[in-house]
Amino acid sequence: MAKLKIDDLKKIKERVQAENALREGDRRVRVTVHMGTCGIAAGARSVMNTLMDEIDESKVSDVMVTTSGCMGLCSREPEITVEILGQDPIVYENVNENKMRQIFKRHILQGEIQTPFVLARGKEQA
Amino acid sequence: MKAFRSHILICGGTGCHATGSIKVKQTLAAELAKQGLSEEIRLVETGCNGFCALGPVMVTYPEGLMYVEVKSEDIPELVEEHFLKGRPLERLFYKEAATETVIPEMREIPFFSNQKLWVLKNKGLIDPEIIDEYIARDGYAGMAKALTEMTPSDIVKTMLDSGLRGRGGAGFPTGLKSKFASQTESDIKYVLCNADEGDPGAFMDRSILEADPHAVLEGMVIAAKAIGAGRGYIYCRAEYPLAIRRLSIAIEQAKEYGLMGENILDTGFSFDVEIYQGAGAFVCGEETALMTSIEGKRGTPRPRPPFPAVAGLWKKPSILNNVETLANVGQIIHKGSDWFSSIGSERSKGTKVFALTGDVNNVGLVEVPMGTTLGTIVYEIGGGIPGGKNFKAAQLGGPSGGMIPVEHLNTPVDFETVAELGAIMGSGGMIVMNEDMCPVDMARFFMDFCQDESCGKCVPCREGTKRMLEILTDICEGRGKEGDIEKLEEMAGIIKDASLCGLGQTAPNPVLSTIRYFRNEYEIHIRDKHCPAGVCASLFKSPCQNACPVGMDVPSYLALVHAGRFDDAYKVLLRTNPFPAICGRVCDHKCQSKCRRAQSDEPIAIKFIKRFITDNGLKPAVQAVPATRKEKIAVIGAGPSGLTAARDLALRGYKVTVYEELPEPGGMMRYGIPSYRLPRDIMDGEINDIRALGVEIICNTRVGREISFGKIYESFDYVYLAPGAHKSQRMGVEGEDSDGVYGGVEFLRDFNLNEEDWIGRQKSLGSRVAVIGGGNSAIDAARVAVRLGADVTILYRRTREDMPAAEEEIVAAEHEGIKIEYFVAPLSIKSEGGKVNGITCVRMKPGDFDRSGRRRPVPVEGSEFTLTVDSVISAIGQEPDPGFVPEYSGISINKWSCFDLAEGRKAETTNPKFYAGGDAVTGPWTVIGAIQAGHLAANEIDEAIRAKNGEPPWEAPAEETIDIPFEIDEDSDEQPQAAMPELDNAKRVVNFAEVELGYSIETAIKEASRCLRCDAEI
Amino acid sequence: MKSNYETLLEEFSSEQIQELDGIITAYKGKEGGLIPVLEKAQELLGFLPVPIQQRIGEGLNLPLSQVYGVVTFYSFFTMKPRGRNTVRICLGTACYVRGGKKLAEDIKNNLKLKEGETTPDRRYTFESVHCLGACGLGPVIVINDNVHGRVKPDKLKNILEQYH
Repeated sequence: MAKLKIDDLKKIKERVQAENALREGDRRVRVTVHMGTCGIAAGARSVMNTLMDEIDESKVSDVMVTTSGCMGLCSREPEITVEILGQDPIVYENVNENKMRQIFKRHILQGEIQTPFVLARGKEQA
Repeated sequence: MKAFRSHILICGGTGCHATGSIKVKQTLAAELAKQGLSEEIRLVETGCNGFCALGPVMVTYPEGLMYVEVKSEDIPELVEEHFLKGRPLERLFYKEAATETVIPEMREIPFFSNQKLWVLKNKGLIDPEIIDEYIARDGYAGMAKALTEMTPSDIVKTMLDSGLRGRGGAGFPTGLKSKFASQTESDIKYVLCNADEGDPGAFMDRSILEADPHAVLEGMVIAAKAIGAGRGYIYCRAEYPLAIRRLSIAIEQAKEYGLMGENILDTGFSFDVEIYQGAGAFVCGEETALMTSIEGKRGTPRPRPPFPAVAGLWKKPSILNNVETLANVGQIIHKGSDWFSSIGSERSKGTKVFALTGDVNNVGLVEVPMGTTLGTIVYEIGGGIPGGKNFKAAQLGGPSGGMIPVEHLNTPVDFETVAELGAIMGSGGMIVMNEDMCPVDMARFFMDFCQDESCGKCVPCREGTKRMLEILTDICEGRGKEGDIEKLEEMAGIIKDASLCGLGQTAPNPVLSTIRYFRNEYEIHIRDKHCPAGVCASLFKSPCQNACPVGMDVPSYLALVHAGRFDDAYKVLLRTNPFPAICGRVCDHKCQSKCRRAQSDEPIAIKFIKRFITDNGLKPAVQAVPATRKEKIAVIGAGPSGLTAARDLALRGYKVTVYEELPEPGGMMRYGIPSYRLPRDIMDGEINDIRALGVEIICNTRVGREISFGKIYESFDYVYLAPGAHKSQRMGVEGEDSDGVYGGVEFLRDFNLNEEDWIGRQKSLGSRVAVIGGGNSAIDAARVAVRLGADVTILYRRTREDMPAAEEEIVAAEHEGIKIEYFVAPLSIKSEGGKVNGITCVRMKPGDFDRSGRRRPVPVEGSEFTLTVDSVISAIGQEPDPGFVPEYSGISINKWSCFDLAEGRKAETTNPKFYAGGDAVTGPWTVIGAIQAGHLAANEIDEAIRAKNGEPPWEAPAEETIDIPFEIDEDSDEQPQAAMPELDNAKRVVNFAEVELGYSIETAIKEASRCLRCDAEI
Repeated sequence: MKSNYETLLEEFSSEQIQELDGIITAYKGKEGGLIPVLEKAQELLGFLPVPIQQRIGEGLNLPLSQVYGVVTFYSFFTMKPRGRNTVRICLGTACYVRGGKKLAEDIKNNLKLKEGETTPDRRYTFESVHCLGACGLGPVIVINDNVHGRVKPDKLKNILEQYH
């Protein structure tokens, strides 16, 4: 390990801060991936991986990812809920990796709801 | 690098390690891997989170949810539910002790939400073994600034301006220390860190070292730059292996990064640090002793001057700072002195970390702004005292400190105020003590510690602490003598003045502090050989017996019940208590509050067993003693106190006449306590036994009305005044004199005098009744009103926990459908045509602490409301009515309308012919308290008579020997108290039948077998 | 008369003594080295009888009186052999007020020994310590490195019997 200079301190700080940001303060978006048995069987795991990769690549730190169980609409799985805090949550159905990328870029980052994939609006009934 | 969707921060402090966090972490890691979550969820072991009593604790992010007392068995469910399905596992959430409220988010838990985390800003948030995580939270930024932008004098100035004072106890300005050392010329200087945290009950420094070791290193480098030092030592107790390990890792990582060692951050400044393990000597926490110890010698202190800033370690200029002090330094440099001095009190800036321990619900590490009140720390953050006990004092500063008692809960905790109260801030150990703490024993404990740890160099400390310990031990073991307290005070002064170091200079503090606040308890130990708190075991047989005002032999009668010998048990009861059947029903059972069984599960139901004995044992026949003595004695008032005194005197051969104003004897037992709690035939039985001894009870005779005071004065040789406290205190609100407003005791008396009229509806409270107050009288009045068919609401101005009424009475009232409104106080009574029709109240909220340790209620402005009611019963307190005693008698009466006793006497008034006791002396108290007063009065009267006649003191006739069996069930499984069978609720509210039905034989024997026999000497 | 080495061989193995000598050499000439040497020696040997102190003193070129003085000053060092299990009861204030006092009595009664003593079968050594910093769990007993928190009197026997 090379000895650090002042600037290196700042670099470490920025890098690790991004990694650990989810331990701090406020979040702008909450994305819930529904990972019931049905969801996982339908491919929720790869949706989750895609989402994590997207977050990683875009270096955003204000997106919070959680999981939840089956919503009771197993035929529409994988499903995710995107909730821009302060707005109604949006539930997307039949999400796959491509749709996930699109939802992330358009909806989560830019705020445009991807209407064709929407299953429901409003508070979810978990 | 890989982003994780969630981080789990599991606490890896010593406390959580001890409760199994390592295994939990391993299980969790394995389970996450098994479920394929290792790539999504990061598991981090942090340093001490501070919530040690509920360990192992973990916090999940981004949600910020806290799980407490997590066991490895919980992990599969936790992972499946929370991390796979996103359903938080509620059963592992924190539950507030007092209210049972579940609080999922860590920052919402009052323990955390009331803290101000500066020094502990990284606690539980970073992995202390990964330097990058420290750097990410502005770590080493202060150091970088100090090394690149500041001169040594800039650093010193910033430290001085910040107002930072040493957190190790003495509170010396940190900047000043650096200033002195920086001004001393020397080629070699040292920066030392004192991590020899030796105060019992203190673990702040350990937690900081475990949770955030780099903060201490950063502070040391900055201090080194300020004084021009190139080397440093961290002197850490060997008892802290985890702290030492984390520090070693931190030093290694800092060196790798070039943040420690040669040419730090390429600035040309070099500083190296080494850990030195202390070998267990408390005195080494003292700065000169610590330095001597690093030099490899016996760690004894050296005289100052020269001060360490001039000649310290190896005679070189050195500064020694405590862990917490150093952990502040980096942030002060980074954020500036104004930031630091923006909080705190006038002369104590910044925050202080406390190790909050002892009898408090939330034990753990607490950081608050300097000047936060003691009450806030104990009640808001600490969550109050467990088990419904009362706060007695907080001990600050360990063996060098002192107590802050209940009347000072509003004290702002900072260096100056704490010192004024006779304690010291110390390093931050704050031990909360409840009513079960004995101050003499506590002083003995600390003196034992100091005596043990005295290095022996200074004779006053070595020998003086030993002598003081001997005196304290004598007092605790019943060998205390008059003058001991003064002797302790004198020796304390000498030791303080003549010792070289802090250990000796402060060793007497706990003794002085306990004498200052609890001198009375010292005196009781010395004079009465009694330990009121029930701690000093040499002074009593068992804690229950010690707690009983009349010293009932609880272990013996429990053992006899266990053995099925109920008749013998009854005889034991009557030896000390003339009213066991009454007390078995209405006693406030102080004995049970001290029962050691409660440490395992619940106290023994002593009261219920007492009642069982009187229900099932054969009552011993009364054996009257012929009245042979010439002195005639009058007793005023046929309550429990007067009747007890009359009985005792009759048993000693005196002729006693009791005068009672009301139609029947019994006092408050008959006219205060309703019959559903105390059936009248039971009471009559015990009173008649006293009559059978030859005691004459003349009812319907009030002194000053039916018989003059003068007549009593001349007809009797001695008089015992026991008229009780039968007058309700007034609320002092408008409309109080309207029809339909009753005093609590007046209402109960009227009801008991005219029960048929009330039940037959010739007298009525109407359909809606408000009862004001929270004592037993208020509850009794409310429960009577319910039985008269009313809809009853109790209005109380404080919280339920503050109610003086017995818990079981409150519960019973709730069961019977009585509504209790807390935080409500009456403002005025509304009436129409002179008859009450409403009560206007105001909502209250808790304010400061009063002298009893309860929060003083203060009105909430604009919260007034009016209740429609037909009657108001005001039961906010009672006082005696001593108006029948004329001034010429010379009997002094105080401002509470109570009789004063003569100096040092237990019953004699200021006129030696008159004695007094019971509620008329103490103010409203308990039946058992009144019985005690009666015993004491009878004894004092008899002693006075015999002394006057030149007779030898009375000797009690030999008691029948009852052998007490000793049988303990080996099977001591946890098993709660047996429940008391009760009358069905539907039957209760329509009549006045006794609610509690009494134990069956099997239940009583089983319950008695739970006794741990603390009286036994093995 | 037996040499120091012969005396040591009665209690310790030659490998142990060799290792001790290694420790001594590592600190030789280093200022303030005595206490670290003693700490490491005790870790290695379990206790520090006088012959060991002699060897350390000679090795570091210090008088025995100084070594002895330091060993007796610090509570961490012991000159007596110890039991296989060290039972330490915390009598720090927090544990004390939560029942540690009574617990200490129970332990003494149970093991029939006083503080600082070792049972004749060398199964237990009983000590009390001032505050282990685990105040949240009081009363605490530590057996070897295992912390037992919130120990209730009736659980004591069970806990002790786990250690052989």
